[in-house]
Amino acid sequence: MSAMRPYRRHPRTWRRTALTLVILAIAVAAAFPLVWMVLSSLKTPEESMQVPPVWWPGSPSLDAFTEVADVVNLGRSFVNSAFIAIVTTVAIVVTSLMAGYAFAKYRFKGRDWLFAVLIATMFLPPIVTLIPLYRLTGYLGLNANLLGVVVPNLANAFGIFLMRQYIKGVPDDLIDAARVDGASEFLILFKIVAPSVLPAIAALTLFAFVYHWNSYLWPLTVLQGNTDQYPIVISLSRLLSYNRGAMNTGLVMAGATLAVLPPVILFVFLQRFFVDSIVATGVKG
Amino acid sequence: MTGRQTRSTIGMLAPATGLIAIFVLVPMVLTIGLSFTQWSTQTGFETASFVGLANFADLLGPTSIGRDFRAAFGNTAIYTALSVALILPLSVMLGLLVHQTFASGGILLRTVLFSSYMVPMIAVALVWSKLYSPTEGPINQMLGWVGVPPQTWLSSPRTALVSIVILNVWQQVGYFTVLAVAGLTQIPRSLYEAALVDGASAWMQFWRITLPLLRNTLLFSAVIAVINAVQVFEPVALITQGGPVNSTNVMTYHIRRVGIERAQGGLGSAMAVTLMLSLIVVIVLLFTLLRDRGEQR
Repeated sequence: MSAMRPYRRHPRTWRRTALTLVILAIAVAAAFPLVWMVLSSLKTPEESMQVPPVWWPGSPSLDAFTEVADVVNLGRSFVNSAFIAIVTTVAIVVTSLMAGYAFAKYRFKGRDWLFAVLIATMFLPPIVTLIPLYRLTGYLGLNANLLGVVVPNLANAFGIFLMRQYIKGVPDDLIDAARVDGASEFLILFKIVAPSVLPAIAALTLFAFVYHWNSYLWPLTVLQGNTDQYPIVISLSRLLSYNRGAMNTGLVMAGATLAVLPPVILFVFLQRFFVDSIVATGVKG
Repeated sequence: MTGRQTRSTIGMLAPATGLIAIFVLVPMVLTIGLSFTQWSTQTGFETASFVGLANFADLLGPTSIGRDFRAAFGNTAIYTALSVALILPLSVMLGLLVHQTFASGGILLRTVLFSSYMVPMIAVALVWSKLYSPTEGPINQMLGWVGVPPQTWLSSPRTALVSIVILNVWQQVGYFTVLAVAGLTQIPRSLYEAALVDGASAWMQFWRITLPLLRNTLLFSAVIAVINAVQVFEPVALITQGGPVNSTNVMTYHIRRVGIERAQGGLGSAMAVTLMLSLIVVIVLLFTLLRDRGEQR
């Protein structure tokens, strides 16, 4: 159109620039809280207390980060978080692949009914089952222990749903050919099906890792105040009560920055898989 | 089905189904059962004594149990309604900006928005508690630049709940934007081309084509937004502890306080059941209101 009516070019360029500026402004506004968090973690305690607030740290220092390590057992908390996130993620990927494969490729009585029941649990807010679950893990001897955080979360409906959606697209011929060759079902699943749904595995890995790295309500409940077993997100909440004045702003921000890094870094590098899987399923984890 | 097939079906399904049954379905059934009992969460299930509908009567009754519960229920209802009312239009607006290819910056915007969805809620709560600070916070400072007087944010019962809604919307809107983009990509380009031939303005295209065809996406987004909204916990537990004057006491916080901290397991379960039933009602209502009935196309 612009070729036919060259005189329209100028207003079009102007509008394009204006829209780009609007988009950038929104992006800056949306990023502001996280930018503020990082900047504040580099400020001196005096700068944090100033009124009106100082935006840019005059002499950026990492003191707050070393201080966080003294206040909460940072190393231990990170190990705990990593343990929770990695164990649940690996288990969820494996159990979801297996169940997703069965729901996608097997015919059996009650399949759709069972699938519907499992999917319904995806919409259940965790608070609804929190009280009896807490007693149940108590019976199993898992309370006040990291295992109590992990064991109830080794499978989830979203993973099954995601895997079923992707495995449905794997050609039956591929699977049948392997069966004719005498391969076991587990061999078929892990040698043939799994490699052809790698994007789904990547997406589920990221969803599960981020979800369990960030989860707060269940660990707080099941760990019963056993600070040795706290993941980083719960240790962080202790920073706030450690020193209630404005003095600790830098400290709190340094702790928050550290906790934010693993999930956000993971996301920035692998966001394509997140986005694709949301488009494929239209559902969150 | 042969024996081998049955065995592999069971083998594939057993781990996930078994775990979900034990750790989700059984607790769900227990919650319902326990809601009719008086039971201390510190003791075994066998100590629960049947009290019929007494817990539910307490929730509706004139005592402080009923008053606190109804306040928490009301707060959650307001919180949920506000969250959905903000998230849905924002997600469509931002979705259009991410989806369009006329100007650049869409992918950057998506990355920034979705990054905050990855941030642990506890960090979001910590950061925003500082942003909201009446004196040292940058938000009141920026409002001052444009002549708006300082706001009380989290420190006044009038504004605390809304402040938590805002930080929650900031955190979640990226996810809903991606959902909106997914919906937008499904709309056939030919519809817009036909509209252009008919001389429809961009404004009319939005109301006549984009919005109606996003209906199912918006329905799904609304359901997820409602379910997410009743789960708000970290900002309340961390910053406000339900205050000031109970203004941010929401259901997840209240149920945990009653059922776990005060160990009133029966009463807490009755609250959980009420929450679940209310959620089902809201979701059914959303479906009836928003579902595409087909006759409008």
